Amino acid sequence: MNFWYFLTALTLLSALMVVFAKNPIHSVLYLVFTFFCISGHYVLLNAQFLMAVNIIVYAGAIMVLFLFVIMMLDLRKNVPESKSNLTKLAGAVLGGTLLVVFIAATRHMNLGNGSGAIGAQTGMVESLGMILYKDYLLPFELVSVLFFVAMVGAVMLGKREAGERNF
Amino acid sequence: MNAIIALSLSGIASLFLGFSTNRKNLLITTLLFVLVALGLNLADWNHEYFWFNNMLKTDNLSINFSSVILLSTALVVAISRSFGDDEEHTHPAEYYAIMLFAAAGALMMVTYENMIMLFVGLEILSVSMYILTGSDKRNLRSNEAALKYFLMGAFATGILLFGVALVYGATGSFNIHGIGEVVSRTKKGMELFEGGVILYAGIILIFIGLLFKVSAAPFHFWTPDVYEGAPTIFTTFMSTVVKTAGVAAMYRLLSISFPAVYGLWGNPLVWITCLTLIVGNITAVYQQSFKRMLAYSSISHAGYLLITILAKTPNTNGSILFYSLAYSIATISAFAVLMIVSENKPKDGKPDESFEALNGLSVNNPFLAFVLTVSMLSLAGIPLTAGFFGKFFIFTDAFSNVSPLFKNILVVAILMSAVGVYYYFKPIIAVYMKKGEIAEIQLPLIYKITLIITTALTIILGIAPDLVKNMF
Repeated sequence: MNFWYFLTALTLLSALMVVFAKNPIHSVLYLVFTFFCISGHYVLLNAQFLMAVNIIVYAGAIMVLFLFVIMMLDLRKNVPESKSNLTKLAGAVLGGTLLVVFIAATRHMNLGNGSGAIGAQTGMVESLGMILYKDYLLPFELVSVLFFVAMVGAVMLGKREAGERNF
Repeated sequence: MNAIIALSLSGIASLFLGFSTNRKNLLITTLLFVLVALGLNLADWNHEYFWFNNMLKTDNLSINFSSVILLSTALVVAISRSFGDDEEHTHPAEYYAIMLFAAAGALMMVTYENMIMLFVGLEILSVSMYILTGSDKRNLRSNEAALKYFLMGAFATGILLFGVALVYGATGSFNIHGIGEVVSRTKKGMELFEGGVILYAGIILIFIGLLFKVSAAPFHFWTPDVYEGAPTIFTTFMSTVVKTAGVAAMYRLLSISFPAVYGLWGNPLVWITCLTLIVGNITAVYQQSFKRMLAYSSISHAGYLLITILAKTPNTNGSILFYSLAYSIATISAFAVLMIVSENKPKDGKPDESFEALNGLSVNNPFLAFVLTVSMLSLAGIPLTAGFFGKFFIFTDAFSNVSPLFKNILVVAILMSAVGVYYYFKPIIAVYMKKGEIAEIQLPLIYKITLIITTALTIILGIAPDLVKNMF
């Protein structure tokens, strides 16, 4: 339990730093750290496979992609804020309200005494595979349509065409 | 369900067809694919099936919505004219494939039984729309619209997903009937059950995500820019298929999962509905561009559809269905006329989409002028068109609800339809009264047939609305 508190505090802190860091590169690095912390939570929930996937896919592949893009676009220059004060105020009010609602929600939550038995096999690849290919077969297959659309679109939009400006 | 499989496969097939056949054939094949899907969809009529471990459920209502979506898709494909004959810069095979995939996503959104299916369907539809919005790569407005739509849509999806997660946390179920069961076990009123606040927060977040997709008022800011920036043919697709699917998905969720907590989502929805009607209609009055006016009109029609979702009468099924059908066919004819006229009269190398472009259309093109007039009358809700009965059914639903709140909504809705008459008559006046020179426009045969179908359907449904209304 103590470790959980420590991990949660670390997660929240690094997540906040993602938003508050001035330098985009730092933001990404904090985000990587946040993903590691979340992977720690997965371990505590007995979901080892998810932990591994989360680190490999998110912290590994996607975040590296982020870093590349940021380095390529050279975003280090501090662009002055373009938002008006009214927008900021509205955002703060809305976000604050949502925060209050969530704090209220967690206060009302009945967490139980935590004695519910978790099967030792819960987070293993085998049981995950059973769920994925038995219960959730249809969404699993249809997600491929989503990826296919995204791929076709990326190729279509990214292809250089005749008469286009070459950088 | 079979229609979804067929559409997914034919999307892939259509990509491969791009290698060999010419553009004309591609149009015909895609049209055929959509009609096959429509047939497969209708084959399940009067049977209630659960598919793949309760992932999807087809019943007559969902089949009807699917049919409206597939019909709109077929009509949009039919007016696409194979995307011109610019071999270098347009890719019809890809466009048709993405449209077919988008239709599959839309069908998932109206038949889902599991929240995961809603999410997957919504994402397929949205991602397809982001791509198609930006498909006119050399047009800066199109690029801007695509990026804007993508960023805002991604946030809306994130919010929706967060809501789904919270609802799952509170009820322990992704299944919409399962969620409904847990929710209905709550005590009457706003008393909290275990995890109640989480449930309520989740419902509101799901709501925001879906309202964004149907472009209801506080979440509508993307609509005019995206509708204007996207190529007109894809704007047509967006304002018919995406809207129908979004409204149907929302109705399914609210009527099956959350009727027990009507007090929670009903009150905000009343305000959202009124705001949508007012913002959509009043802003439409000030538009100089016909296309932008139609974008605002689509916002206001989302408002009318929300009224009947709110009213929750036994007639609601039929009313939503009739309204989305009437709205879809009228919108398709309006955009079809706009598309062909604006391309005929380019201004600065781009299609001229202002009202002036329509000036004097009736002199040499009486058919196009008539089609435009009927569709505008239908959108405004003038009797003897489908739009009139659409509005009539919705107002009847609102009136039959005992809650005094609905009288207020009705007053707003009726006032706003009166405002609507003003701006829907602008193009009609431009067509018949204003002087202008438009040479006779040659219509491809399939284009002409589509316009005849939409116009005839609008008039037939305006004379005999029972044809569709009594299907339940």
